[in-house]
Amino acid sequence: MSLRTRSLKVGYGKRVVVEDIDLEVLRGRFVGLLGPNGCGKSTILRTFAKILAPLGGTVYLGKRDLRRIGQGELARRMAVVLTGTPSPGLLTTFDIVAMGRYPHTGFLGRLGKEDIEKIWEALRTVGASELAHRYFGELSDGEKQKVLLARALAQEPEIIILDEPTSHLDPRYRIEVVLILRRLVREKGVTIVASLHDIDLAMKVCDIVVLVKDGRVLACGPPEEVLEEERIAELYNFERASFNSFLGGIELKSRSIGPVYVVAGSGSGAQLYRTLAKHDFGIFTGVLPENDVDFHVARAVGATVVKEKPYREISPESFLQASELMKESHQVVDAGFPVGEANRRNLELVLGALRQGKVTYALRNEEESRRLYGPHASRIIRSRNISSLIERLWAVECLCEGGGSS
Amino acid sequence: MDEAVEMTSASALLERRWARYPLVLGTFGVGAFVFLVLNVSLGSVQIPLPDTCRIVLGGEGSTWVFRSVIWKIRLPRALAGLLCGSSLAVGGLLLQVFFRNPIVGPYILGISSGATLTVALIMLGGFALGFASVHPFFLSLAALVGAMGVMFIVIAVAAKVRDMITLLVIGLMMGYIASALSNFLIAFAEKERVHKFVLWTLGSFSGFRWDEVKILAIAASLLLPASFLISKPLNAFLLGEEYAKSMGVNVKLFRLLVIFISSALASVVTAFAGPVAFVGLAVPHMARLCLGTSDNRILIPGTILLGATIASFCDLLARTLFSPVELPISATTSLFGAPVVIILLLKRRAAI
Repeated sequence: MSLRTRSLKVGYGKRVVVEDIDLEVLRGRFVGLLGPNGCGKSTILRTFAKILAPLGGTVYLGKRDLRRIGQGELARRMAVVLTGTPSPGLLTTFDIVAMGRYPHTGFLGRLGKEDIEKIWEALRTVGASELAHRYFGELSDGEKQKVLLARALAQEPEIIILDEPTSHLDPRYRIEVVLILRRLVREKGVTIVASLHDIDLAMKVCDIVVLVKDGRVLACGPPEEVLEEERIAELYNFERASFNSFLGGIELKSRSIGPVYVVAGSGSGAQLYRTLAKHDFGIFTGVLPENDVDFHVARAVGATVVKEKPYREISPESFLQASELMKESHQVVDAGFPVGEANRRNLELVLGALRQGKVTYALRNEEESRRLYGPHASRIIRSRNISSLIERLWAVECLCEGGGSS
Repeated sequence: MDEAVEMTSASALLERRWARYPLVLGTFGVGAFVFLVLNVSLGSVQIPLPDTCRIVLGGEGSTWVFRSVIWKIRLPRALAGLLCGSSLAVGGLLLQVFFRNPIVGPYILGISSGATLTVALIMLGGFALGFASVHPFFLSLAALVGAMGVMFIVIAVAAKVRDMITLLVIGLMMGYIASALSNFLIAFAEKERVHKFVLWTLGSFSGFRWDEVKILAIAASLLLPASFLISKPLNAFLLGEEYAKSMGVNVKLFRLLVIFISSALASVVTAFAGPVAFVGLAVPHMARLCLGTSDNRILIPGTILLGATIASFCDLLARTLFSPVELPISATTSLFGAPVVIILLLKRRAAI
């Protein structure tokens, strides 16, 4: 079932929340609505579900105007999962899912054999069949959300509208729920329109994402094209964080205590960068090739990165640039990067730091650092793990700041 | 494999739960019957049980006094108790589901206050139209007019207002206004009349006559099945108005139906028995907790039977506890009902 809107205006009463919505969603697509809290995602979804009347423009379901489709017919074609969990009193999980059969059963809602089978199937699909006899009110938030999804599935709709379907779920169920939805899209051609808060998830499961901000649709299209770093930053007004589409996640930016110079590569620095950013250390790092995962993480956390072209040896220019940055930093960390032909000169950087008398740490064992740094190895402070390293960096930084102010 | 085992155990537990419903409903039914029999056979005039049975089945008793006590006084009263209990309880249940609020009763929309106001006008305000004493049927008519008047105002408002909390508050406020006006009348009325009036506001099943019982029976036989027929949308409403709408419920029509059925039930009862407290609030809870379900297709029959049982039991207490003094029915219903609800609630973990 396709969904189309023509200059749609949504809101409550006279208050317009979002306007000029022109979307075209084909049958069997997974559409994600992204945007900051209060941007109107729910309002749009409620209008699609005919819970709210549009303030202007039209919603078409298939070829028909949504206003022309009766509530009963609509219920046979569209199911909704809303935010917030209802408290229906003493109803079992089974009873709740059975409500999905509402538009398909007779006057008193007697369940036929087929209905009961479909209810169990829906319960099994979300993995809640063992909860069938429990009261809905006794379930955890995550379980409730799965049961409400099962209710929507039991309705056998052609289109499902979901308002933040993954918000109460732990990572495993979050994945399970989106996999269930994807399977519906693939196997039954169900159209899914969901508001999501998880950019990473949206990128991985949606066919189309719609970015909503300030009463407008900011962008709309395949996530690969739409979810760019700058656009996401604009969407959510990120100041101290950034979304990196390579890494598919949000990184916190650090605010610079320090700074600390990190020599890394091949993923040895990724976790260290994040931890440093979390503790507000400023980060200088390099030299990193542009295709290195460390390069992407470092940029995402807002580090100053000295880069080199992929698969090339470190050029004199880059090396010089790195040396300059190192002079400005108080402490230096060797993240335990693997040494090869292309990045040999990074070792020289560390040695240079030692010669300048910088406090230098290494996340390497003794044997390795002796092999790499020879006689200088004894002046390197070795750390077993990142958390003990962070403690030491902190201690020294405090001393430096104290010294600086006196 | 594991999942299959879990599923069968869950479905077995579900079936055990379902198997309980007829059992509990049967118990309620037996209870209603037992109290009906007790109400007919017990009283200030001692009538032996065999005589009672014979008279009720249409035979002759040992004396004409027995026959007249049973047919003219006890039987209509006992039947009225059953009908009033069922009607109020179902009225309360409908509004509890509708407002999704457990402390709502059938009078929450001001039905009883409307009735009280018109009755006050008659009893206290000197609108007796020149009659020395007010004929009881006239009083009932006045109460019915007051109750229905409020009902139509509420329905008119409900057709306009979208928000149900607004509706609830408007109903409450109308109740306050009607009570305030009644209180004016109380302030200026003679003491003796006030006493009578206050007794009326506490409700009583005494003095029921057959034609009144007939009216009650007709109303109940229309409205109680009607409430059962809307149990499907009523169930959908348990998930909230928005879900109900998304499942295909015609919310506007349903809203008017619920308000009409519950208010009409409460109005008819109030007209003849006065405002009977607590039954409409407590019985739905008791039924829900005994049955262990909020599914209205089970709960409505349960509420009908339990409402009849509880009202009969309370009337029995009211009549016999301090005989020959008769207690107002609201006193016994509240005194007996409140502790029962508290105990049942404390025994349950899941919220209502």
